[in-house]
Amino acid sequence: MNAPDRYERFVVPEGVKKVSYERDTKIINAASFTVEREDHTIGNILRMQLHRDPDVLFAGYKLPHPLQYKIIVRIHTTSQSSPMQAYNQAVNDLDKELDHLKSAFEAELAKHSREY
Amino acid sequence: MEGRSYQRFPTVKIRELKNDYAKFELRDTDASIANALRRVMIAEVPTIAIDLVEIEVNSSVLNDEFIAHRLGLIPLTSERAMSMRFSRDCDACDGDGQCEYCSVEFHLRAKCLNDQTLDVTSRELISSDPSVVPVDFASPSSEYDNAENRGIMIVKLRRGQELRLRAIARKGIGKDHAKWSPAATVTFMYEPEIYINEDMMEKLTLEQRMSVVESSPTKVFDIDAKTGRVVVVDPEAYTYDDEVIKKCESLNAPGLVEVHPKEDSFIFTVESTGAIKASQLVLNAIDILKQKLDAVRLSEDTVEADEQFLELDAHMRGG
Repeated sequence: MNAPDRYERFVVPEGVKKVSYERDTKIINAASFTVEREDHTIGNILRMQLHRDPDVLFAGYKLPHPLQYKIIVRIHTTSQSSPMQAYNQAVNDLDKELDHLKSAFEAELAKHSREY
Repeated sequence: MEGRSYQRFPTVKIRELKNDYAKFELRDTDASIANALRRVMIAEVPTIAIDLVEIEVNSSVLNDEFIAHRLGLIPLTSERAMSMRFSRDCDACDGDGQCEYCSVEFHLRAKCLNDQTLDVTSRELISSDPSVVPVDFASPSSEYDNAENRGIMIVKLRRGQELRLRAIARKGIGKDHAKWSPAATVTFMYEPEIYINEDMMEKLTLEQRMSVVESSPTKVFDIDAKTGRVVVVDPEAYTYDDEVIKKCESLNAPGLVEVHPKEDSFIFTVESTGAIKASQLVLNAIDILKQKLDAVRLSEDTVEADEQFLELDAHMRGG
């Protein structure tokens, strides 16, 4: 009856930013990124990629509530880096990894179709 | 910014490939990527499915919404889906399903005129686009007998009953409704590494070794007929059930058999509904995941706002 529309889960409403950034007021080099209309799919790969960066002291994400269709990614870095830099680095690295994965899969596919 | 990179270079090995089934190994990456791929394949790779049904005549025993629901669940061939528009952001129409960029129209007319029950199946659906049709399971690659194939049952009619309708199929994703999911099943498992401590095994009697082999509910181990040694015949049959480990403990030989999941190596099985090929499903999932990542990049104005904040901050401290 009062269930939200299904599209609410993946359509960013007008006037709402996909990613917003909020600096921590008490800790330097710490910030939260609020990503609208995303879930564990993006949250978890971002978090794990951030953990590979030695300048990242803390990286975590949460899905605050099942009916709030957003995730909050929190990053704390050393003074060598910044949360924004670490975030961009993680997204770029993941993007390149998927590029590599795609070409690897396509190469395997070509090899496989030749063999059979 | 600087060029440091913590990128990984995953490798893939395809083991088995059919139109609607794929089994492959994914290595040199972590569970987060494997799980993201699985989640995207199930819920975010688009397909085409019937979404709007206008019923002209329905004197069958099933009510209108029941039939509409059944029509929605019929898988349609969806190679076109990746390049199609979602009707919610199609500007060529008002999303009413009149435009070729975001919708495909279907017609169905059936009337039973004799005493035999008439089966109305997915084969009776007439498509406006020859590339979007109900999935035909009688394709030459499948094992089904062609003569036996009668499509997917929609409703049965008796003498005098009639069904006439117009249906609009649209592009959508599994997150919206499961009818749009191209995946029947997508699973992955860690590749197991099984160690047998040969020194400890030496001390066991043949009977005890047999009990170790038989403790596993799946056929992972066997006894070599010549040497009488316990060997691993199929490590991947292991379901991480721990039965063998428990057996070893009960034999007072903990550590006799050890199983370690390889944390960077996964075995995927992908089964498609037939809407798209299993191999295409994986490729589309990678593309979608890339698009999603692209969408979560920081926008210019967010970066600018932060730089201004930094300047202000420095100013305040200085003053």
